[in-house]
Amino acid sequence: MSSKVLLIGLDGATFSILDPLMATGVMPVLKDLLASGTRGELESVVPALTPPAWTSLMTGRTPGHHGIFDFLRFEFRPAGRQLRILDAQDVATPTIWSILARHGLRSSVLNFPMTFPVREFSGNVVPGWVPWRHLRLACYPRSLYDRITAAIPGFNPRELAMDMALEERALEGCHGEGDYENLIKLHIRREQQWFEVAAQLMREDPTDLTAVLFDGVDKLQHFCWRFLEDSIFPASPSPFESQVREWCLDYFRAIDSFVGRLIELHGRGNPVFVASDHGFGPTVEVFHVNAWLRENGYLSWADAANVEQKHEETLGMGTMAKRFYEIDWAETTAYCPTPSSNGIYITPPSADGTGVAPERYESFRRELADALLAYRDPATGHAPVARIWTREEVFSGPQMNTAPDLTLILRDAGFVSILPSDRLVKPRVETTGTHRPNGIFAAAGIGIRRGANVTDLSILDVAPALLHALGLPVPRELEGKVPVAVFEPEYLRTRPVTFEAPREEDTLVMAAHSGGSDPRMDAEIMGQLRALGYME
Amino acid sequence: MNTVTPEVILTDVLNLLNQLARDWEYSGEITSETWLFADLGFESIDAVILASFVQEHYGRPFPFPQLLAEIGEREVKDLRINELVEFICQHSNTDAAGAKA
Repeated sequence: MSSKVLLIGLDGATFSILDPLMATGVMPVLKDLLASGTRGELESVVPALTPPAWTSLMTGRTPGHHGIFDFLRFEFRPAGRQLRILDAQDVATPTIWSILARHGLRSSVLNFPMTFPVREFSGNVVPGWVPWRHLRLACYPRSLYDRITAAIPGFNPRELAMDMALEERALEGCHGEGDYENLIKLHIRREQQWFEVAAQLMREDPTDLTAVLFDGVDKLQHFCWRFLEDSIFPASPSPFESQVREWCLDYFRAIDSFVGRLIELHGRGNPVFVASDHGFGPTVEVFHVNAWLRENGYLSWADAANVEQKHEETLGMGTMAKRFYEIDWAETTAYCPTPSSNGIYITPPSADGTGVAPERYESFRRELADALLAYRDPATGHAPVARIWTREEVFSGPQMNTAPDLTLILRDAGFVSILPSDRLVKPRVETTGTHRPNGIFAAAGIGIRRGANVTDLSILDVAPALLHALGLPVPRELEGKVPVAVFEPEYLRTRPVTFEAPREEDTLVMAAHSGGSDPRMDAEIMGQLRALGYME
Repeated sequence: MNTVTPEVILTDVLNLLNQLARDWEYSGEITSETWLFADLGFESIDAVILASFVQEHYGRPFPFPQLLAEIGEREVKDLRINELVEFICQHSNTDAAGAKA
C-alpha cells in the first residue's frame, strides 16, 4: 500500500533566493526538509511560464503534447484572427490527477492553473486563476465551497482567488512604500487562505495526493527582486528599502510556516515533494519586439500615428486587446500577440493573398530569426535576442501547429514588450525579477534519500516521481522519467519502477484535441476583451 | 429539442447569478433589468467565465464573442440580463429549428 503524498508548489521559487533565506534563519522548515531529503534544480520547459510549465508538471508531457504554450492562444481562423484564453479543456493529455483516478486514488488540487473548468474529478479541486466572483461554482465538488467557508473563519474569496483589478494594478508595478506593503501583505493573506483550505481538506477529507500551489512567490519576485537578491540589495539600505525587504522576509517566513504545518498534518515521514515551475533572476532591459517587427517591415499598425502616440508603458488585458485590433493584418507577416511567452506568429496565407505562402515559410522564418539575432541595440551594442527556438525544436508533438513559429530567449531572459515604442531596447528604471529555466525540486520522507543533491532533474520528471511514490506504474508515453537518484536504493529494490501501456481513455483524450479546433469555446476572446477592455 | 422559453432561461440565469452573488457583497435584487458591469461590478474575465458556466449548464456552445463584440460597438458598453436571456433563447431555438430541418 502506498503512502499518501503531499506536493507543495512554490510558483517561481529559486534556490538563489531560498538558499540565503534558509541560511539566515528565515526559512528553518524548508532548511530541515532539504537536510532530511533530496534537493536539486528543476529544468523547466520552453517557455518557462506558469501555464505551460505547471501543465508539464501535472502531465509529465511537453507543451507540444499538452498544447498549453501561454495564457492565451493566438489562432488564425477563416473568420479572422483571435486570441483565446486557455483552460483545462485545452489540456490535450491526461493529468496526474486523472491517472490517479483510474487507479482508484483521490486527489485534492488547490490553486493550480489550467484546472478550471472541472468536469469529472476524483477528489477536491479549488482551481487557480479563476475570478473570485465565480469561485463558488468553479470548485469541485460544488459543495466544497460551502464546506470551506463554513470551516474557515474570515474566509475571503476575493483575496483567495484572482481579482483582475488587483492583478492589473500589480502589472503596473509598485510606485511607493504603500504599494509594496499592500502587495506583499495581500499575498501573505492569500497564502494563509490557501493554507487554511489545504489544512481543512487534509483534516476532513484526506486524499491520496494533496497538491497546493502558493503563487505569491512569483509575484513578489517580479516586483521586489531588488529587495530580495543579496548581491544587489544595498549595503547601506534606506529605511524604505529595509522596510520593503522586511515585508518580503515576512512573506517567506509565512510560507515556511505553512510548509511546516502542512507537513505536520500530512504526517511526518510520509513523502513530501516541493517544486517550482521555473526559476527567477534579474531583468534590466525591455525589448519592444513588435516595434522591431514594424521597423523591419514585418508589421503594420492600422492607425500608426495614433498608436505611436499612446506609448503606454504598462499592459493589462484591455491594452493587449486594443493593440491586437490595431494591427493592419493585410500588411503584417509576423506578430507577437502576448508579452508572456515571447512567441512570434507568422501570418499564414489567406484567400486575399496576404500572409506567407507555404513555399516561402522556411526561408521567411529563417531570415526573420537571423535578422532578430543580428540586431544590436545602438545605445549599447548588445544583442537583446540571445537565442531563437523554432517550434519544431521545442514544441514537437501533435499540438505543435498551435505553437508560436518562433520563441525568443532574450539576453537577460526577460519578457518582450508588445507595445509600440520609438526605442527598441529600453533599460529598466529599476531591476525587476523575471523567469529563469531552473526551478527548484525537493523531496523528503519514506523512500527518499537523505542529504542528496540531484542534478539533471526535469519538470517532466515530477509526475513520474509522484506516481512512483504513490505506488503506481508510470504510463509509458510520459516524457519524464522517475528520477531514481531521488529514492533510496533499498526502496527502489523492493519497489522497482513499473510502467503501464497507454490506456484507451488517454488515447481518446489526446485524439479529441488533435483537430486543433474547439467548438465549445470557438470564442474570439479578443473580441470580448476589445469589447470589455474599454469598460475598465 | 423542445423550444426553450425566455421565462425558463431567465430563471436559470437568475439562479446562476444569485448563487454566485452570495459572495459578491451585492445586496440589491438581481432582476432581468440588472446590468452585469455597472450593477454587479463584472470585469472582462468575469464575462468569459459566466459564458463558460452558461455553456456548461446548457451543455452546448453559444456564440458569445459575437454578442460581446456587438456590445463593444455600443455607446453604453454593458449587458443587461434580459439581453443575455434573449441571446441564449435566440440561439437555443434557432439551433433547435436548424436541427429539426
